[in-house]
Amino acid sequence: MFFHIVLERNMQLHPRYFGRNLRDNLVSKLMKDVEGTCSGRHGFVVAVTGIENVGKGLIRDGTGFVTFPVKYQCVVFRPFKGEILEAVVTMVNKMGFFAEAGPVQIFVSNHLIPDDMEFQSGDMPNYTTSDGSVKIQKDSEVRLKIIGTRVDATEIFCIGTIKDDFLGVINDPATI
Amino acid sequence: MEKGGKGYSSLNKGGKDDSPAKSAKGRRVQFAEDSFDPISGSSPMSGGKAASTQFKGGKGEKVANGGKSTGSKSSKSSEFGIEQELPKNVKCVMNCEAADILQGIQDRMTMLSKDPAIKIPVSFDKGLQYAKSNSHYTKSESVRSILEPLADLGVSEAELCVIGNVCPQTSEEVFALIPSLKVRRSTIEGLVREILRELGKLKKPM
Repeated sequence: MFFHIVLERNMQLHPRYFGRNLRDNLVSKLMKDVEGTCSGRHGFVVAVTGIENVGKGLIRDGTGFVTFPVKYQCVVFRPFKGEILEAVVTMVNKMGFFAEAGPVQIFVSNHLIPDDMEFQSGDMPNYTTSDGSVKIQKDSEVRLKIIGTRVDATEIFCIGTIKDDFLGVINDPATI
Repeated sequence: MEKGGKGYSSLNKGGKDDSPAKSAKGRRVQFAEDSFDPISGSSPMSGGKAASTQFKGGKGEKVANGGKSTGSKSSKSSEFGIEQELPKNVKCVMNCEAADILQGIQDRMTMLSKDPAIKIPVSFDKGLQYAKSNSHYTKSESVRSILEPLADLGVSEAELCVIGNVCPQTSEEVFALIPSLKVRRSTIEGLVREILRELGKLKKPM
């Protein structure tokens, strides 16, 4: 899910960027440093939407760099346990399938796929019901529920399930 | 020959070798999730114990946030412990609202992108694409006002946003997808049906 959040960060700026464009340089550096990063607590920082406050700079001894505390607003994407979301399948194998929801990767194990769906190998591996009416393959859209999350240094990885009611395939690319 | 115990080889501490839960560097990771039965798919409330999934096998990293979720202890009011995990000044944003915000930023970025030093991050493109493709409504600004009455009856912001994002068709679907609302079913069911009717009018044609 997306969240709009206020975060704070200490930005270090080299004296070459001082002058009348100091604030612009600070904001540019903030966006470069922060956008696209991922943290366990806040998730992916998708975009900085505004600057709330830039505090007074503090000169660091010995280096001449100045540290500015910056409060900024940003949009983050963070999945959480129990969340229902729609994802696009990126890969299918006998262990389950991988799907993508925004910047987040989700894995759905074959144990968490309904029992009436069997893995079919081939050029386009897929999970299909016995009557062939429902198929999960690459580029299928599925509604799933997040049941666990893992945070790496640069990404969030989730485990999902489609075994509950009202979960499963929304859109099969083969039928379009 | 070294015995590793029942079901264990000397090299493998258990679990599947080709488990996709293994990270690329060969570490086994443990996905901590509370109160979940992987076989039945049910989710009875538990007291916050961290249970592993079937990927459990030997030593591995514990999930940074999910190991001991304090949110699950108070999960009687909301299954989503996200409100406890994030700071207080957080605002949940629905996909349709996020699409508007990010589109506005992209329009400004198109002007700035002529500067080769400015690169648009991959996660921004992915986030925008995801928000736009999962935005089901023609008038995103009206969606929140339609859902607001549920907040007065104790529905959390995260739960409201999930309803807005998923756009369920029936009240059955709402209570099946968000089990934490079941405790308030008798008080909110009528309002939920009305809200779903209103949201249905705003839905984009398929």
